[in-house]
Amino acid sequence: MTSRRFSKMAVLAAALTLTATTLTQAQEKYPSRPVDIVVTFGPGGGADAMGRKMSLLLEKQLGVPFPVSNVGGASGNAGLTKVLTAAPDGYTVATLIALTVSSWASGLGSAKVEDFAIVAVTQDSPSLLFVPRDSPFKTFKDLLEFSKSNPGKLKVATSGYGTQDDITLKYFSARGYKLTNVPFAKPAERYASTVGMHTDAIYEEPGDVAPFLAAGQLRPLVVFDDERHPAFRSTPASKELGFEISDLPNFRTIAVSAKTPPDKIKKLADAVNAALDTPEWKKFCSATYTCASHRYTPAQAQTYVKAFQDKVKGYLATFR
Amino acid sequence: MDIVVNLFHGLLTALQPSNFGTMLIGLAVGVVAGALPGISFVNAMAMALPFTYLMTPLSAMVFLGGIYAGGVFGGSISSILINIPGTPASLPSCWDGFPMTRRGEAARALTLAIAASATGGLASALLLSFAAPPFARLALAFDQPEFFAATFLGLVSIIAIAKSTPWISLVSLFCGIVVGSVGVDPLYGLPRLTFGIRSLQNGINFVVVMIGLFALGEVLEMLGQRHHLQGATNKVRMRFPSVRELWALKGAAARGTGIGCMIGMIPGAGATVGAVIAYGVEKQASPRGAEFGTGVEAGLVAPEAAKNATTGAAMIPLLTLGIPGSAATAIMLAALVLHGVTPGPLLFAAQTDMLYTIFASLLLANLCMIGAGVVVARGFASLMRVPPTILGAFIVVLSVVGAFGVRNNIADVYICLSFGVIGYLMKRYDFPSAPLVLGVILGPLAERYFMTSLANYDNNLTIFFTRPISATILGFASLFVLWALIPDIKGKVLRLLSGRTRAR
Repeated sequence: MTSRRFSKMAVLAAALTLTATTLTQAQEKYPSRPVDIVVTFGPGGGADAMGRKMSLLLEKQLGVPFPVSNVGGASGNAGLTKVLTAAPDGYTVATLIALTVSSWASGLGSAKVEDFAIVAVTQDSPSLLFVPRDSPFKTFKDLLEFSKSNPGKLKVATSGYGTQDDITLKYFSARGYKLTNVPFAKPAERYASTVGMHTDAIYEEPGDVAPFLAAGQLRPLVVFDDERHPAFRSTPASKELGFEISDLPNFRTIAVSAKTPPDKIKKLADAVNAALDTPEWKKFCSATYTCASHRYTPAQAQTYVKAFQDKVKGYLATFR
Repeated sequence: MDIVVNLFHGLLTALQPSNFGTMLIGLAVGVVAGALPGISFVNAMAMALPFTYLMTPLSAMVFLGGIYAGGVFGGSISSILINIPGTPASLPSCWDGFPMTRRGEAARALTLAIAASATGGLASALLLSFAAPPFARLALAFDQPEFFAATFLGLVSIIAIAKSTPWISLVSLFCGIVVGSVGVDPLYGLPRLTFGIRSLQNGINFVVVMIGLFALGEVLEMLGQRHHLQGATNKVRMRFPSVRELWALKGAAARGTGIGCMIGMIPGAGATVGAVIAYGVEKQASPRGAEFGTGVEAGLVAPEAAKNATTGAAMIPLLTLGIPGSAATAIMLAALVLHGVTPGPLLFAAQTDMLYTIFASLLLANLCMIGAGVVVARGFASLMRVPPTILGAFIVVLSVVGAFGVRNNIADVYICLSFGVIGYLMKRYDFPSAPLVLGVILGPLAERYFMTSLANYDNNLTIFFTRPISATILGFASLFVLWALIPDIKGKVLRLLSGRTRAR
């Protein structure tokens, strides 16, 4: 009787130990539940497209869902607040893009590069200045000359104050070509304003306005880069026109809170970089002209973003 | 003629079992999600998005279109039956729909709402099929000052539709605008009214406020007063309106449909603004305007027609220009883009078959909505025989899930619970809560459009009056205010005069 009870107890204890072990193992496995992707801009924009594509590919890589939530506003700072207030357990990742980093350099928002660990750089692309199809300006020189004799008359649709869009406009203003910045928080409204000819031009990377380019509703005037863009061979680069404003590419990264354990960051980074090599991603990034030119480790990505912030700060200092 | 042929081909494709079935499932999901307080059709569409990855672009659009059409209607079921709007756009349907339920005319109110919604939805689906390209050009003529004017019209129509005195509604509206401005400023990215609390930097979402004020507030009131919802519905005579009765309301339905189609096309405004403006206009246009709020049929039919009329219209700028005007159409855009389909003018040339199938299935969805609406409304009507304590618990759970689901944010749940208490107090002291919610919805929109307008037009304040479309809309807005205030002012003047004569 006693021995039987004892053996029962032993079996029970063994079972309990086993369950406990599997439980701890389950806790150690990352990711073991869905990982939130916070897209820091509204639906329909470039950051949104990247976030949603990554959500699909990361689910295939890591085997858990990556639900997307859009938290737009304030040049991306509103969404990042959510990442910083969430537990740094690797289950909340965000899109962190160039526009937001340059907004910090301009003194907006309350976050800084050091608050985040950059997992990987997923996309980069130079920006261009586009005008509507029926715009009177045929070349970038036409536009600059008009702005010289009509300071502030030309309105350029941008994504906000203190962004690289704003810096580029300030760069030209400082050289006597005064252009007015018209900020739009919603990408869709920004495109509509230029396509509908309510603004004279739009500062944007080509991928975001691809449908309008395909339909001929927007024309590129200049690419802000050292060399011409392979997809727009007849559009001059800013450098050949004598303007040194080619070091502000638009890039997009995946970031987490800086307090996230390094092994989780590495796991995420490997998955993101593997996703970048899939044919699916390659098809997506070439259609949006945004294939990243390099692969970065988390440490290199961190340096890349920090360097961009310093560059923006440098520009802003010269304008003051 | 081409369009008719194309639409006929589209109809054949849309009637294929797989497409028709997908649409019906979407419709059912939409009506149920819309009717559940706390879960809006936008939530449902966002949750359905991952499922569309596995479908063809056509089925994805048919599915999302079904949820959209069904969800915009579904919200009214809970508005009418339990005075809790299932979605923000169904808020005006509470004002005359619920009083009808109280009178024991729930079945009649629901039928009227379904008929009006289907009419509005069908009309705008036809508009989308036949006139999308020219109307897309019209949508492009709208710039930020026009968006501001339309939003402003929505704001002032609150004064016109107020049941209590305009001044008290204004106070409530301003409280809402203040709540809506909590968070990070849209232009400069600086936090305001956050009192150093980080999670407040995310802003206070209007859906969260609405769930708190209406769903939780109503439950607290229901439990506090021990008043039984079933008391109202026990005496439901399942009397359906006759065709003649429906025909008598054609004016209200037509006005609502027209307003909905116009507002739907404007990016940013959407179903809620359309329904609110339609209610305000109908209150002025109807001979029974003074009785609105006591269960007048026209006051239910007009906003119902308007909110479903925004659905097809909102897809015009999406499909022709690639510009999503609302959260729902932005989700459709995401689905299209993920499938490598870029909406825009080229879509009409390159993918005519797909487009007209989408149009045709939207038409079918609005027809089938009548059936789906009746079935779901029956189900919900039997829910009301559930004891209020159990129904209350059910609504609280849905509300918490819904508040969390808006942005997957736990802070939103706390905000929602706080607004539940505020909503209860507002009900107790008869302080109107609808203007507050509309302030939270429209305030931030108006601010953004106002600031961008000024940036685009040299900080020139006269721009709102010198641009023709904007000036016209603002003209309507001032007429609205005058119209609403005249009885009030007239009364005061008369009292003042009679007071003077007596003093002599």
